[in-house]
Amino acid sequence: MATNISFLLNGDKISYEIKDHWTLLHLLREEMGLIGTKEGCGNGECGACTVIVDKLAINSCLYLAIDADEKIIETIEGLASTDGTLHPLQQSFVDNGGIQCGFCSPGMIMSSKALLDENPKAGHEEIKHALAGNICRCTGYVQILDSVEAARDKGGQNE
Amino acid sequence: MSNLNPDTNREFDVIGKRIPKLDAAQKAMGRAEYIQDIKLPGMLFGKILYCKYAHASIVKIDTSKARALAGVHAVLTGQDVPKKMKMGFYKDNPPIKKGKVCSFRDEVAAVAAISPEIAKKALDLIEIEYEELPGIFDPEKAMEKDSPLVHEYHKSNVLKLPWKLHYGDVEKAEKESDFVVEEKFTTQWVTHCCLGTSGAIALFDSNDNLTIHTNTQIPSLAQKDFLESLKAMGLENKRVRVIKPIIGGGFGSKLDTYAYEHIAILLAYACRKPVKIMFDRVEEFKATSTRQPTVIYIKQGCDKNGKLTFRDMRMILDNGAYTSWGATTPSVMMMPITSLYRVDNVKYNAKCVYTNNTYSQAMRGYGNPQATFAIESTLDMLAQKAGIDRVEIRRLNRNQPGDVTPQGFKISSCGLSECIDEVEKELTIDGPKEKGIGTGIASLIHVGGGARIYKSDGCGAILKMDDYGKVDIFTGGTDMGQGLDNITAQIVAEELGLFVEDINVVHSDTDVCPWDVGAHASRSTFVAGNAALGAAKKVKETILEYGSKLLDADPKNLVLKDRTIFVLDDPEKSMPIDKLLRKAHFSPQGKMLMADFFYDPDNENMGKEFKGNMSVTYAFGAHGVKVKVDEETGKVKVLDYVAAHDVGRAINPLLLEGQVYGGVVMGLGYALTEEVVTKDGQNMNANFRDYKLFTAKDAIRIKAPVVETYDEYGPFGAKGIGEPGCVPTAPAIANAIYDAVGVRIFDLPITPEKVLAALKEKKSATTKI
Amino acid sequence: MKPFKYLSPTTVEKAISYYGEHSETAKFIAGGTDVIVKVKEGWMEPDYLISLKKIEEMGELHKNEATGELSIGALVTHATLEKSLMIQNEYPIIYDAVSNIGSLQVRNVGTIGGNLINAVPSADGAIPLIALDGVALLHGPSGERSAQVKDLFIAPYKTILKSGEILKKITIPTQAPNTGSAYIKFGRRAAMELPLIGIGVLLTLEDDMETCSKARICLGVAAPTPMRAFDAEKLLIGKKINKEILIEAGNIAADESKVRNSIRGKAWHRKEMIRVHVKRMGLKCLEIIKNNS
Repeated sequence: MATNISFLLNGDKISYEIKDHWTLLHLLREEMGLIGTKEGCGNGECGACTVIVDKLAINSCLYLAIDADEKIIETIEGLASTDGTLHPLQQSFVDNGGIQCGFCSPGMIMSSKALLDENPKAGHEEIKHALAGNICRCTGYVQILDSVEAARDKGGQNE
Repeated sequence: MSNLNPDTNREFDVIGKRIPKLDAAQKAMGRAEYIQDIKLPGMLFGKILYCKYAHASIVKIDTSKARALAGVHAVLTGQDVPKKMKMGFYKDNPPIKKGKVCSFRDEVAAVAAISPEIAKKALDLIEIEYEELPGIFDPEKAMEKDSPLVHEYHKSNVLKLPWKLHYGDVEKAEKESDFVVEEKFTTQWVTHCCLGTSGAIALFDSNDNLTIHTNTQIPSLAQKDFLESLKAMGLENKRVRVIKPIIGGGFGSKLDTYAYEHIAILLAYACRKPVKIMFDRVEEFKATSTRQPTVIYIKQGCDKNGKLTFRDMRMILDNGAYTSWGATTPSVMMMPITSLYRVDNVKYNAKCVYTNNTYSQAMRGYGNPQATFAIESTLDMLAQKAGIDRVEIRRLNRNQPGDVTPQGFKISSCGLSECIDEVEKELTIDGPKEKGIGTGIASLIHVGGGARIYKSDGCGAILKMDDYGKVDIFTGGTDMGQGLDNITAQIVAEELGLFVEDINVVHSDTDVCPWDVGAHASRSTFVAGNAALGAAKKVKETILEYGSKLLDADPKNLVLKDRTIFVLDDPEKSMPIDKLLRKAHFSPQGKMLMADFFYDPDNENMGKEFKGNMSVTYAFGAHGVKVKVDEETGKVKVLDYVAAHDVGRAINPLLLEGQVYGGVVMGLGYALTEEVVTKDGQNMNANFRDYKLFTAKDAIRIKAPVVETYDEYGPFGAKGIGEPGCVPTAPAIANAIYDAVGVRIFDLPITPEKVLAALKEKKSATTKI
Repeated sequence: MKPFKYLSPTTVEKAISYYGEHSETAKFIAGGTDVIVKVKEGWMEPDYLISLKKIEEMGELHKNEATGELSIGALVTHATLEKSLMIQNEYPIIYDAVSNIGSLQVRNVGTIGGNLINAVPSADGAIPLIALDGVALLHGPSGERSAQVKDLFIAPYKTILKSGEILKKITIPTQAPNTGSAYIKFGRRAAMELPLIGIGVLLTLEDDMETCSKARICLGVAAPTPMRAFDAEKLLIGKKINKEILIEAGNIAADESKVRNSIRGKAWHRKEMIRVHVKRMGLKCLEIIKNNS
């Protein structure tokens, strides 16, 4: 029950033979070694595994790898530039205390990216609505929301 | 920021700066390696089988089918666990149970296999015959004479623990009090919900020395536990190396060793291969420990002026079936009970009672939130009874610098009064009333300068400098996301005139780092910070000595700043520090600059009567909250929150605020939404859907004013701040609800159901009159 | 997760024929946010998953401007509905319900059809569709048939769908003028909730803008399946709508409900929440009608 799929992963064309029952999370983490995407619950209730598929934030733990065929996938590993410059959202999370233990951070940043890509002017309440599926136990969300708002206010530019 | 001590208002280059967390960038890029991400060559996967009853005899276990399954390397049952291998300070908890099971989370078997899937399949093939026994789930009922015993050998369900104190004369004081309030409070099970679930990888080398990668907040104490397990396994005089990877949250959950760690060791030894056990979310909910639930009986009194006269508290703690640190939380509950506000006559008695429920552990605040809920709720009631303003009664009885509390705590610095000021400044506590809207206030005391629970409260640090002006500091302290790495680096950088990026903090590996008692009791900034400072001072002394020779100046007249050593009154005379280091190294009888320091604070173990200065200094705080209560639904909305803390000095305000915000929201969950729901000992909500953590959509704006009292013992004046944020949250909320709608909730969490029921009861009582 | 073979038909007919080949060993899957959890947990152990994702016609959201009929393909995701301005403006009750299902990540993938077919008592998606007199179009081995959305549910996790039958789309008949509708999910926190109770109200007023000509009061988690409070609806018909009568309707609806105690909430409180929110949603309907006129 193997199937060949092709997709664009962080800008790279990938062709991969997968098992039909693999989740996208399994493909990324266990098969491709991309550990940045985390598993916090496995049931779509924490958002730690959030990646972007065709511009939409999704839980990769509930998304079958086979459905990634022909899709554009973005994961946390694809955000920083090849010269090591962090994506403005990543930099903003660093600068504003949006990261403590860091386990929710990749998912949180991917959810934020999907939001700001779609709506660069998202307001406080829209941000809260979009991040409601990303659980964080360390920060109380205060500095996470600060981070997203600061990134938004810079309009996608690092200082 | 209030500055209480202008003399200490020295300008710093690094201390007090909002420096982002050192590992934040790698975490933001998804490069940080957690236990989930670690794979070792030849690694097997372990899984644990839990029992299906709260209380039952194991009649028969048949593991033959599991053993026969291809890919299975080992199957263990209670029979395979050495008799002396027991966990917890009370030593009542073998990692795999034998004979009988006493709670749903009891481990009855474990397997190691070449894949997690095969391991799971093997668990399904283990056949166990149980004979169910009557269970006991209510601690007060478990204390009754004819109650079934959880452990027959223990003869009683009441643990033999000494939680009892009486200072002054409570009976006399009560008689003399003008006003007395007496109430009962109850608090629930809540759990840490670390986003990264628990896990460990154990492996033995060819000489049977153990290395274990594990999620822990106590590398050194865990090492001791694992050494004891090895000894029980017949492996004497072996080495244990504990490596803590980056962990996805701590909050006290990793202050004891767990069965899965000891089982990983047993499996790794049985297979002589690395064995990894990873919890899934359901296991994390069901098989890790909770905050200690309590039944609290409290009496407090005051005189006609509002001066507190006595406090009398009695608690019953549901210990669950086994004993971990939850059973010792009374030792910290004593702190607010004896020392939050000035009160001379105090009595306290706590009983820990075995039941067939889950057992509790340490969790942020360690008993303080439970005790403070009862104290601060009844303080409002007392104020009302005495006709005194609720802020005034707190000011009147506030702790002050120089106080020695009945328990013998020496209050070195205290900004409680200023914290109350800050709350009043940010939030109008007694403004004009709007319907359904109310405010509440509650204060806190917590250890801020270590906590001498263990015989040593120390932490070691080793510091070395290289030829390029860079520092490696090996600390016993543990970073678990809270930012001890920053605090350490900032302290060392400040002391040595370097930049934060010059400092590499190495932690959480017992082969490399010195001993430390663990990341608990808000002690790391204070204790590990002082250890790092001590090592840095020693090295600094050597640098100054060399500098004095090289620059021909009095060492007292030398300054380290911006990677340079220079003469204070002749700044032209200077030398880059890296050059000095090379000169020291590459000369006859050359020297590398290294130093070690072990800091054990000058605090005291509590004696027989629980007297003694447990912490070198104490942190204080006051929280104020404004809520809106929907009187038709009972739903409480938090409108505004102020959490003011006396932190001594903010070494890094960015991270400090992070601790406060995170603590407050954890406290709000405790107050309003979070609860492990059980039915006859069984966890009914082991998922994030039904265990209701605040979501981003529930987030509120929080103001976190900082009061700096510059404690003379703290590193650069700092005190601990890890836990206080979640300590007075629940009573502040309960007090605000009372202010808003006139009903008081005595049972956490304060759900819409409880509020609405109380409102209805109040309405029907009013109609009856 | 137990291995399975994933089939991706592009037509309904093909999907049904796949099912014919594999029958009980196969399950249909749409967005997968429920099915994958069930397979992971071992509650469902299919050898074949027949994905409906590639059946284009099932993904269409379309309003026929001539007839006023709304057609929602079963594969339309919650997020698509949530983001649709047409839904936001003309079917606020749908927006209220779908915008708070799970997380955005779930709404980006989860479908309205899946939400109905999953048939949990707490399905947020069912309530507005019942209130709007939605009709489900089913397609099975023996052809097409339709059923009222309110009649889809038999018991928790159980619908009237026969083996091999697919929910293709839901149609919402033309709404009368002067209609307002609103839904609330009552829970302990602001997001990621299963409702403790879900209350949807739809009111249509006569030209006098006071008298009720049509009322729908629909409740989730109030019974084993989503339900309508018929007695409460009856009370409102022909009456002038005001707060007092809505309170009365709320009381009747609460009595009609078959709420139970569960770990999530107590029955008495659920009843109270029906009382309060039938009134509140009713008032919200009036406000919507007023604003639209």
